[in-house]
Amino acid sequence: MKMNISRQNLYLLALSTFLLIFVLLFSFLLLIPKGKEYREQRTELNKGNVELRKYQDFNEETLEILKKLQSDNGHVITAFDNTFNAARFEKEHKNYFNTLTLSKLEKSEDEEDEFSVYEVQTTSQINSPKSFYDFLDAVNKSSWIIGINFPINFKREEQMIRSSFTMKVYSVKRDSNTPQ
Amino acid sequence: MKYSYTSARKKKIVTPELQLLFIFFGITLFMLFSTYAFLLFKDYRFLEQSRDIVQKRFDLNISLSSMKSKITFIEKELALSERVYTQNTVLKDSIANLFDLVPQRITLSEASLLKNGLILYGITPSKDVYNFMLQAPLRSIFHKNYSSFYPDKNGWLRFVSTNYIEENDIQNYDLKSEDLEEQDTNEGLE
Repeated sequence: MKMNISRQNLYLLALSTFLLIFVLLFSFLLLIPKGKEYREQRTELNKGNVELRKYQDFNEETLEILKKLQSDNGHVITAFDNTFNAARFEKEHKNYFNTLTLSKLEKSEDEEDEFSVYEVQTTSQINSPKSFYDFLDAVNKSSWIIGINFPINFKREEQMIRSSFTMKVYSVKRDSNTPQ
Repeated sequence: MKYSYTSARKKKIVTPELQLLFIFFGITLFMLFSTYAFLLFKDYRFLEQSRDIVQKRFDLNISLSSMKSKITFIEKELALSERVYTQNTVLKDSIANLFDLVPQRITLSEASLLKNGLILYGITPSKDVYNFMLQAPLRSIFHKNYSSFYPDKNGWLRFVSTNYIEENDIQNYDLKSEDLEEQDTNEGLE
């Protein structure tokens, strides 16, 4: 049996076959692997986004904690940042004493990890021990972190009591924090 | 002169079958290429977004570590300030207790508070008054007590009372107070 296919139809068939093969090859070799890759990358990206969100949440929580700490303890933080000023100290605390004299600020040998410690020798005159108690209460609320140290001497001088003691002033270690 | 009633069909290079084939494959190829282009674009976007995520995580890590170090530092500041404030309060109570300890019949002229002891200078009407009213309570607090007397002009006695605590006890006390502070800090954190 002889098939009678015209030359034009033969070309048409050849072109169709060629295009079909091209479409199939393009789909299976390029498009489908790329599609798979796309799906994998999308899953990967979603995971990355979820992790980033967790990081951001944790970051926000930490920031909240830091802000709360800073706002709750503003006085202590500022007190550590303040540089000790003898004149200001005398002005703030002279109410508790009849006379108050501070010696020059000297660097203490007892250094704390990240804090500088300075020592001030103080001599003063008080009317009664109560003034000294009030002073100790006021020191805890002052603009610096100050610890009263031994030895503390009280000596009666007629109607007054002469007291002398050492104060340790704590501040944040930094080069520019030169005592006044 | 015409030999036929039908006119000759015009021959075209693109026959209707070929046109149909081109349209079909044209649409198919267009869809394939556009899908591929979409995937390529998405690929590029994913790459950009993942780079962005990495950068953001890096930035967050830096900010997180900076915040953590700030928090640690503030906690150190708080611990130190608490220690100092507690020492001041304890000192105030100690001095108040000392002055409460001295009976009215004995007058102090000088008092030196040391880290491990107490030296008192004063006037007492008699040794007995001193021994019963001041020496006894001092003995219950300090481990070593030394007293010396010398007569004053009006028949009263001047005395010097030196009292010391053992060094070990001070260290134990310091450790205990540090433990208490740590406990307080932990409770605060909880």
